[in-house]
Amino acid sequence: MRTGISELAKRLQSREISAMELTKAYIGAIEKLNPTINAYVYLTFDTAMKAAEKADQRLKEGGAPLLCGIPMALKDNICTDGLNTTCCSKILKGFKPYYDATVWEKLKAHGAVLLGKTNMDEFAMGSTSETSCYGAPLNPRNTNYVTGGSSGGSAAAVCANLAVYSLGSDTGGSIRQPASFCGVVGLKPTYGAVSRYGLIAYGSSLDQIGPMTNSVKDAAIVFDAIKGGDRRDQTSVDYDYGSSLAECLDRDVKGMRIGVAEEFFDGINPEIKSKIEEAIKLFERNGAVIENIRLPALKLALPVYYIIACAEASSNLGRYDGIRYGYRTSSYTSIEDMIVKTRSEGFGDEVKRRIMLGTYVLSSGYYDAYYKKACLIREEINREFDAVFEKCDVLVAPTAPNTAFPLNYKGAGPVEMYLSDICTVPVNIAGVPAISVPCGEDSNGLPVGMQIIGKKFDEATVLQAAHFYEQSAGEVIGVYEGGARI
Amino acid sequence: MKISKTEVEKLAKLAKLSFSDEELERFTAEFDEIIAFADTINQSIEGGTEQIRSVGARMVSFDDLRPDEVVPSLPNEKILSNVEGYNGFFGLERSKK
Repeated sequence: MRTGISELAKRLQSREISAMELTKAYIGAIEKLNPTINAYVYLTFDTAMKAAEKADQRLKEGGAPLLCGIPMALKDNICTDGLNTTCCSKILKGFKPYYDATVWEKLKAHGAVLLGKTNMDEFAMGSTSETSCYGAPLNPRNTNYVTGGSSGGSAAAVCANLAVYSLGSDTGGSIRQPASFCGVVGLKPTYGAVSRYGLIAYGSSLDQIGPMTNSVKDAAIVFDAIKGGDRRDQTSVDYDYGSSLAECLDRDVKGMRIGVAEEFFDGINPEIKSKIEEAIKLFERNGAVIENIRLPALKLALPVYYIIACAEASSNLGRYDGIRYGYRTSSYTSIEDMIVKTRSEGFGDEVKRRIMLGTYVLSSGYYDAYYKKACLIREEINREFDAVFEKCDVLVAPTAPNTAFPLNYKGAGPVEMYLSDICTVPVNIAGVPAISVPCGEDSNGLPVGMQIIGKKFDEATVLQAAHFYEQSAGEVIGVYEGGARI
Repeated sequence: MKISKTEVEKLAKLAKLSFSDEELERFTAEFDEIIAFADTINQSIEGGTEQIRSVGARMVSFDDLRPDEVVPSLPNEKILSNVEGYNGFFGLERSKK
């Protein structure tokens, strides 16, 4: 079992180890493994050592927070003042933000030690992290397979123990799906629970930052530290969670109403389906009440997601014009020519596809047929989730219909890749919280993820159910043993 | 629905992108498939004239907006730090004689 944040904090606070020693150990592991795994695209060892030194001072004085001196990583779309943040895109290569994202500001205040920025799909658009301009990260569980995406580097770093925890972002499953593929825990909080100030925007009505960790407790600790309203993100909410969620995890599932919707199981790999069914039985044996429910509008969730996300992306990515930051083409004849050439040379194919789809669905003549209709169906999906949560405390579903793809697997084309997001996108559309927890392995030894979905701002129940499962099934499924297998 | 190369070129212009002939060929084929996928929203639920509210809109009460206050902004030198600036402005090569 990997040492969790609480245990590391105890050792740091008792001065059994120092933050500098711990950071050096992680730097050593990164130097050894990162050339293979490619989890990090930018290393910040100097600032890490300085932060560790400061953390040691604070730890010596006593009263330091749990995350003080703990080495961690941030996805490359989370702005860090003066440190490269590129969204793994050529168009932002070398970009150094001049401000910190709120989540990073908060973690820094806790004494976090940043080891580097992690690999991802370009602008968080993808399900394998292979659209990164730095090349794909490899799945530490089996390097012939992808990490999933888009927060693939963040998942790989945690899986291979190259960071104690990391932050990812989730627009349509980008925290949960790589967590599932790499056998780690990934929490997508409620829309509005965590500030997105300083998160480079993709689909603003869907994007959410969340933790990726080796245990549910660690996810709760990190969520406790980053949650909260922020005047710089007007969609964030200062919700009163009452107390620390990490301290309220020990709850059994007796009487917990767990919803199971057949729509989440349509077309799922039978091995994954049977793992989730075993987990549902485990909940039931322990006193949970299983409710079979229906979410009929879910069948439209994928096109709704791609229409809304791409519409928002086409607008959000309009800012990359080569004028204020990032890549600029070398020769041009007019400002218009400069902008078009910069964007065409700077963006990769998947980003261009999504900008084009977004432009199409927002264009005159098609707006009503696509974008407006997608927004209406989104409302219907919301209504269905609201109705389901009248009857259930949480929903249980697979995180992904498949385990990790082999590297360079292209399937039948872009659309087949989009279809693999079927289990995760409804959660973003409805703005509810969900966690992916490891739920055993398939016959190839690849991790399977189970998703637990909750009511808005009810991360507490989501985390409690996940923690209960992890504690009850963890020993059997053994996914926490070893992490990286290379 | 079949999308033509001319339509893709028109869209590219709106999106401020350009494609080579070979890219355009490939992109048109892929885009056709993507539009067919987007069309699946027309399967069964008919859209009406109902008011659209996004999740974000529902979370924020418009009766409770913060006052419109001027707060400190970033200094020019920081804003210009990612490009070659010119006397406090963003610099571009001269493109008109």
